[in-house]
Order: sequence, then C-alpha cells, then structure tokens
Amino acid sequence: MEDVATRFAAYLQHRMPAVSNVEVSGLSRIYGGASRETYRLQATWEEGGVKVVRPLILRRDPVASLIETERDIEYNAYVAFHPTGLPVPEPLFLETDLKWLDRPFFVMEQIVDSAAGSAFNADPYGGNAERIGRQFWSHLGKIAGADPKAIGFASALEAVAPGDCWRVELAKWEKVIDEDELSPQPIARAGIRWLKRNPPPPAAKISVVHGDYRTGNFLFNGNGDITAILDWEMCHLGDPLEDIGWALSRLWSQEAEERPGGMIDREEALRIWQEASGIKIDRKALLWWEIFNMVKGLAIWISAAKEYESGTNLDPILAFASWIPTDRHNRILAHCLADLSRGAHA
Amino acid sequence: MKPQVPNVLRGFVGTLLTEILPNLSAEYSMGNAAVMCQSLSVIADEFERGAEIRFRENEEMRALFAEAAKIVADKGLATRLLDASTGRDASLLISALDRSNAALASLLIELQVALEGMTGASVHAFESKVWDYLVTAADRRKFTLPSFG
Repeated sequence: MEDVATRFAAYLQHRMPAVSNVEVSGLSRIYGGASRETYRLQATWEEGGVKVVRPLILRRDPVASLIETERDIEYNAYVAFHPTGLPVPEPLFLETDLKWLDRPFFVMEQIVDSAAGSAFNADPYGGNAERIGRQFWSHLGKIAGADPKAIGFASALEAVAPGDCWRVELAKWEKVIDEDELSPQPIARAGIRWLKRNPPPPAAKISVVHGDYRTGNFLFNGNGDITAILDWEMCHLGDPLEDIGWALSRLWSQEAEERPGGMIDREEALRIWQEASGIKIDRKALLWWEIFNMVKGLAIWISAAKEYESGTNLDPILAFASWIPTDRHNRILAHCLADLSRGAHA
Repeated sequence: MKPQVPNVLRGFVGTLLTEILPNLSAEYSMGNAAVMCQSLSVIADEFERGAEIRFRENEEMRALFAEAAKIVADKGLATRLLDASTGRDASLLISALDRSNAALASLLIELQVALEGMTGASVHAFESKVWDYLVTAADRRKFTLPSFG
C-alpha cells in the first residue's frame, strides 16, 4: 500500500508541475466495485505558498473483474455529466501509461460524508427512503433525457439505431452466457428465446444508458441527498427503458416488486422518471426490458462464477455473486416466464 | 462428522463476526470477511440439502422426459428423452449429481425449444408442466441470507 501511495504521489507531481511537496496519506482500498480496484486517499501539496488538501479516489484496472469494462467509458461519463449538474464526482486524470501504477487508472474527486446502500439490506435508506427515491428516479430521468451529442459523450460511445437497441444488447449478453456458463441454464435460455420472440418497438430516443443504475451504485448523505452516481463502466447508448428495467429489478428490493430498491412506490417512480426525461413509457416495451435485465443479470453472475472457478480472480464477492444473485434472478425470471407462458396460452 | 458440518460452519461465522471482524482495521478486509460470513452461511445450508436438491431435480426431469417422449414430434428427440428418462443416479457425490443434472438440463432446454415450436392444447398443458418444474426447482434452491444486523 505504501508503494502505491509513493508512486501515486509521484504521478500527481508529474501531472501538476506547478505545485510542490505532493504527499499521499490515508490510502485505503474500498470494498465493492468488483470491476475496479478503488482506493480513497488524501493528497496534499503546496500551491502558491498555500497548502492544499484534497480527498481523492483512485480507480485502478483489475487483473480480472466481475464485468469486463472499459475505464475510458466510465471516466468520460463523469467528464460528460459533471458539468450538467448531475451528482457525479469531478473527474481529474485518466492514465494509461503502465509505468505509474502497473495498470491503467483514473483519478476523481472523493465524495465525503456519504455512503452507499446495500441491496442485501432490507431497509438501506431508513427514514430517507422517500426523499432518496424521488431523487433516484429524477436523476435517471435526467440521464435519459440528456442529449448525448450536446454533452459531448456521443463520440465516445458506439452509435446504435433506435430499432437495434434491443438486438445489440441481447446479443451482447447472450454471448456472455454462451462463453461463460459452467452448466446449462434452462431459465436464462427460455428468457432469451422469449425476448427474441417478442421484440420491443424501436427506442423512443437514443439515450445514454448508465448500465448499472441501482441501489449500491450511488452515494447519499445523512440529509437524504444523493451526492454521487457511480459505476458507469457499463455505460452505452441505447433505449432509456433499459436502465428503468434494471433499476426496477426485484433483485435490489429483497424480491419485493412494489417498492423498487426499497425506496418509493413503483408507479410514482415511473411518473417521476417520465416527468424528468420527457419520455412516455411504453409499458409493453418496459416489460421486455425488465425481462432482458433479468437475463443480463444472470449473464453477469454466470460470468462471475466462471471467473472464480477458473482461478483468475478469487475475490470472495465473485463466489457470492455467482450464488445469491443467480439464485434470486433465476427464481424471479422463472416465475415471470411461467406466468407469461400460461397467459399466452390461456 | 460430528459436530455436524452446518453447525461448525455457523460457529465459524459467529467467531468471524464477533472476534475477527471487529479486530480488522482495513475496510477492504472487513468487506471480504463479511462476504465470507454470508457465503459460509449459504454453504452450511447447501451442505445439508445439496445432494437432495440435485437428486430430486434429476428424478423430476426424468419423469417429465418419459411423458414428453410421447408428445414431441421429433422422433430423434423422443428417443433421447426416453433414454434419459430411464437413467438413474448411481452416485450421490455432488460432482456426479451435477454432471447428470447438467446433461438433463441441457435436454430440458432442447425439449422446451421443441415444445415452443408446436401447437395444441395438450402441448401447451405440457409446457405449463415444464414451467411448474422450473419454478419449483428454482424455489427449492432458494438461499436465505442470515441477518447480521
């Protein structure tokens, strides 16, 4: 750890040649975010005779991860959304030269006095659930409503036509299951077949899709204010309903459907999203994206199992993710598909 | 093994939670230890029920295949379903049960694909039976996470 601190101080000095006496203290690896090694630290330096103290976050590429992601995409999401007023940390440096910390990394502002909720906690927000829930859905609506070109993000992401959003995403995650499954997956496969038989209409608009917008991936403070939306590494252009489908998943609410993420009532959540985004939700299309997200979830957990089993990454969270969320998503998807199958033949 | 394995695993969780975790200072280590506690609790349940769950799933899939062999139009698939329906689990090792479970689950996927391409009330009724199995099997595998709060 001391080695990382010393080397990172040298990096900061290199990036800020006008300052002197750069020091790094309190370097501590944060738990979670299995896709990256995340450290909090405090950097100090002297600038114009004044001592500056800056709490920072260092996100370093892992050797292997739960999700194979692009660091540039996450960093560029912060670059694009920070000036819009959406609560995201200020991005500071992106570094791909391996000489500094052996692996690429980026640096951003540390959001202090805030915490993330856990999807495995029955009541992650306590008395602030309503207040946080309203912000949660309003912020997601603003992400959906943003013009990717106007915020300078479109060029960093792969373009997709409105009619192809579903096909591109489904193909991506089906491929993950094809490549990583350690045992046959009858429920996930049935889900994939249902999705192909019942394609949604073209996206109402092409939006920035966060890709992992849920409890656990944002910070909030004691006043019940969301202070940072994090973990943008699966961000892409696509149908804005995709993010809603993921955020609504019963996986994040102890399997309860009525209060997604343990925050506010589902219908109220969708109303707030529509108001903030200016997009009307097509309920049939939303059902498609909800089922898609169950399959996507299973693909992620299946991939985690493969990672752990192969020995490339023995982080305990990968074993846990491949047991508990797989169990929950399989059960939720099985019930959903069984109901749809019976309804179709009634 | 006495004391029984689930009791030992739950005892380990208690020791981790009350003696080891409070003495850890690194946030990342604490997070790992907490996840290992949750995982050990799941393993304790699975140690007791793992063979039973797999054995029952395998028997239930074989029973479905015996019935499906009379319904599916594809003769080759019908023969394979019938063959699989007469199998038995000769070993109760989890690894052996997992192997036969995987082979049967793979055939179940083929069966569902075939049924989805067919029409008729009896086919739909049997499709529903397959879903009954999948729902029951998924429910049976449910893990209950302990609350450490």
